[in-house]
Amino acid sequence: MKKGTVFIGLALAGSLALTGCTGGSGGSGGSASGGLSGEPATGGTLRVLQNADFSHLDPAQGFDGGVNNFYRLIYRTLTTQGAGEGAEGTEIVPDLATELGTPNEDNTVWTYTLKDDVFFEDGTPITSKDVKFGVERSLDPSISIGSPYAKIVLDIPEGYEGYYLSGPLDSIETPDDRTIVFHLNQPYADFDAVVGQAPFTPFPADADVTTTSIDQQPIASGPYRVTEYQRGSTLVLERNEHWDPETDEVRTAAPDSFEWTFGLDAATIDERMIAGQGEDANAIAGSVAPASIARIQTPEIQSRTVAGLQGCTTYMGLNTTKPGMDNVLVRQAINVAMDKEAVKDATGGSQLADIATTIMPPTVVGREEFDLYGTEDQTGDPEKAKELLAEAGYPDGFEFTLDIRNQPKMQAQAEAVQQSLAKAGITVNFNLIDTSTYYEVIGTLSQQHDAAITGWCPDWPTGATFLPPLFEGSQIFEKGNSNIAQLNDPAINERMAEIRLMTDVDEANAAWGALDEQIMELAPQVPLLYEKTVMVVGDNIAGAFSHAGFSGGIDYVSVGLKSAE
Amino acid sequence: MTTVPSELAVETEAKGALPSGGAPTPARRVLHSLRTSPGAIASIVIIVAIALMAILAPVLSAITGWDPYEFDPTAIDSDLGGLPIGPLGGVSAEHWFGVEPGNGRDIFIRVAYGAQVSLLIAVSATLVTTTIGVVLGMIAGYFGGIADQVISRVMDFLMAFPTLIFMIALLSALPAGNRPALLVIVLSIFGWPYTARIIRGQTMSLRNSEFVEAARASGAKPLRIAFREVLPNLRGTIIVLATLAVPGYIGTEAGLSFLGVGVTPPTPSWGQMISTAVGWYAVDPMYFLIPGTFLFLTVFAFTVLGDHLRKALDTGDAA
Repeated sequence: MKKGTVFIGLALAGSLALTGCTGGSGGSGGSASGGLSGEPATGGTLRVLQNADFSHLDPAQGFDGGVNNFYRLIYRTLTTQGAGEGAEGTEIVPDLATELGTPNEDNTVWTYTLKDDVFFEDGTPITSKDVKFGVERSLDPSISIGSPYAKIVLDIPEGYEGYYLSGPLDSIETPDDRTIVFHLNQPYADFDAVVGQAPFTPFPADADVTTTSIDQQPIASGPYRVTEYQRGSTLVLERNEHWDPETDEVRTAAPDSFEWTFGLDAATIDERMIAGQGEDANAIAGSVAPASIARIQTPEIQSRTVAGLQGCTTYMGLNTTKPGMDNVLVRQAINVAMDKEAVKDATGGSQLADIATTIMPPTVVGREEFDLYGTEDQTGDPEKAKELLAEAGYPDGFEFTLDIRNQPKMQAQAEAVQQSLAKAGITVNFNLIDTSTYYEVIGTLSQQHDAAITGWCPDWPTGATFLPPLFEGSQIFEKGNSNIAQLNDPAINERMAEIRLMTDVDEANAAWGALDEQIMELAPQVPLLYEKTVMVVGDNIAGAFSHAGFSGGIDYVSVGLKSAE
Repeated sequence: MTTVPSELAVETEAKGALPSGGAPTPARRVLHSLRTSPGAIASIVIIVAIALMAILAPVLSAITGWDPYEFDPTAIDSDLGGLPIGPLGGVSAEHWFGVEPGNGRDIFIRVAYGAQVSLLIAVSATLVTTTIGVVLGMIAGYFGGIADQVISRVMDFLMAFPTLIFMIALLSALPAGNRPALLVIVLSIFGWPYTARIIRGQTMSLRNSEFVEAARASGAKPLRIAFREVLPNLRGTIIVLATLAVPGYIGTEAGLSFLGVGVTPPTPSWGQMISTAVGWYAVDPMYFLIPGTFLFLTVFAFTVLGDHLRKALDTGDAA
């Protein structure tokens, strides 16, 4: 059921240039890489310039890299992702819990113990009942549009509709104020990552929290609280005095306050960050546009540039049920013919993207490096593709329709695909779809065409959140489908079921990595790019790095000001 | 306004005393007047040059060795976000007007093919709107009564419509299909009333002129009168209206492509090039300037020519 929601993250990161982030691993091709060194000073106001507002302040509802990054400033969960570059950032570490969960023998019951001295913004202690309430309220169908994992793995009775309609949930036990026990409906070795998802945010069980009140007035458990919020224009966070740094190994939370400005044009943000004048010296922003890359090459701007991988894969899904596309040789020919260099250049060149050869990006734990169809310079091999097509019974070429988004970057990518496949005698016709309905169209079986360019970001960087939603036969849905290849291969399905039962997380991660290659042999997609974010920050910013868990965005809980004067 | 004959209408009426119509003398006079005006000559030269460029686009493509869809990865710098290598947006002996950032497509050839698209759409839309406008305008003006009522109300309705918004909505909702044809249809639906209204007014004044009365008295059928007596006297007006309509449609097509509802990529189109170039203005201004200049010159040349034609016809008739 991990469908739909995840690609919202990429949609936002990609189309609005909201956030960006990098894993640090996999090598940043450009001159900019890594983070800005230096410990941030305590105090001051950090400004964030942003094109679009956050989707939701309610953690049950928001679900993309940008907003998940933001949630860590005001909310805490039992576990969370680390604060650091590369693999450090994708590691699951305890947050409200004293340590990672203790599972029973078959991983179906998980127990966590809460830290002492953790408080909400009004000073009331956070108890296990508040965590339980937070999960229960998030299951209300009217707001459960965020991370779906609670719904998927918790043992929830049929027809349960959240705390307000159906009352408390029996499968979450709170033997005392510090202990919480989760009963799952299946063995789940990765449950530590699940309780780090935003819907596991605690809210005071006895306060006046209604279904929708959190989205208007959040109740902070993290280092900051929302003091001012005007939707689409500004958001101000001030320090939450009841947050005790001693209880928190993840968050630096150096600035006294954060101030977001929304609704700025992307080009305006680039101009302001490049100029870095006045208050903008204390500002950070999302990834720059390709057109700005040439302007940030001066040593002065390079010294305040942060870059990294988004942790997502941009790919062209091939619908394996369509005539012609159902032939694995045709799909392999398309893979072989693809000029990935051209697609990369169309996306903004080496600084904004690396070439993808595997389904999973380098930030995913256990991912294996391989390249089944690549050519040496990654510009495609039309001759070999023609041979494969002839073998498949299409000696005179092949023609298919590609669904694309009505958006400059996606169109440029599509044109590069079209041009490179044309050399191999493959004709690509475009079906241009409005950005707002794009995912709806390609996620509806009756409406999708032969292929579509889209992307996928993992909810946490393991194969478990990457391969099944895209390639498991049981995840093909009439609507809201994410398996756009409609791949339903018995061997693959069986292998996924096997890996799920593995109790050792490392073993499972390695198995997902190997499965990646097994799937690519069937060529249900053409991995195109691992896109990167390149962010210019103000010259008074310290501790800024691209976080691999949040679509490459600057980790909000670590960034601060060099000087808080 | 329709009931008050324009100056042009009055002149045409006066000329209408010669029932043969289409006398060669005024035509020669118009040509002479155009020939003596440097502005008119310049605009004709520009129009001919751009038309030639559009028609000969495949030949130019063969000469330069670039086709409008061909990428040139060697002409752009992948490490600088795909910026063209070299000064002025990559202008070189190989790429006369430079290349597009991000893919290295040759701008000269894309501008030439873009002219083809622009002119094809604008001229087709002009032909369609002029034909519909003249026919319906004449019917409304000559026959009056119910026909006039119906046609005039339809015209009022279409002219009162927020055209651009409706075009955007219509084009986004319609399936991609054959975009240029679709654009011609949409432009024509909203364009014909402007021609029809003027034609209607002029026909109304011509209807009562002596030579029409004479034809009617001699037993000519209404259709024959309309097409043999009235239409030739509208010739000047139609030419001016058509010439002035072309730049309007070029501009609208570019605008719609700029907004992303015009011709679909990768078909080259000036509006689309300008739209893509906006983001690059700071580092590659040539990418914006070249299609922008061509769009400006074409629209400007057609407008100037139209104005001169109008003037020439006016004075020519008056003489």
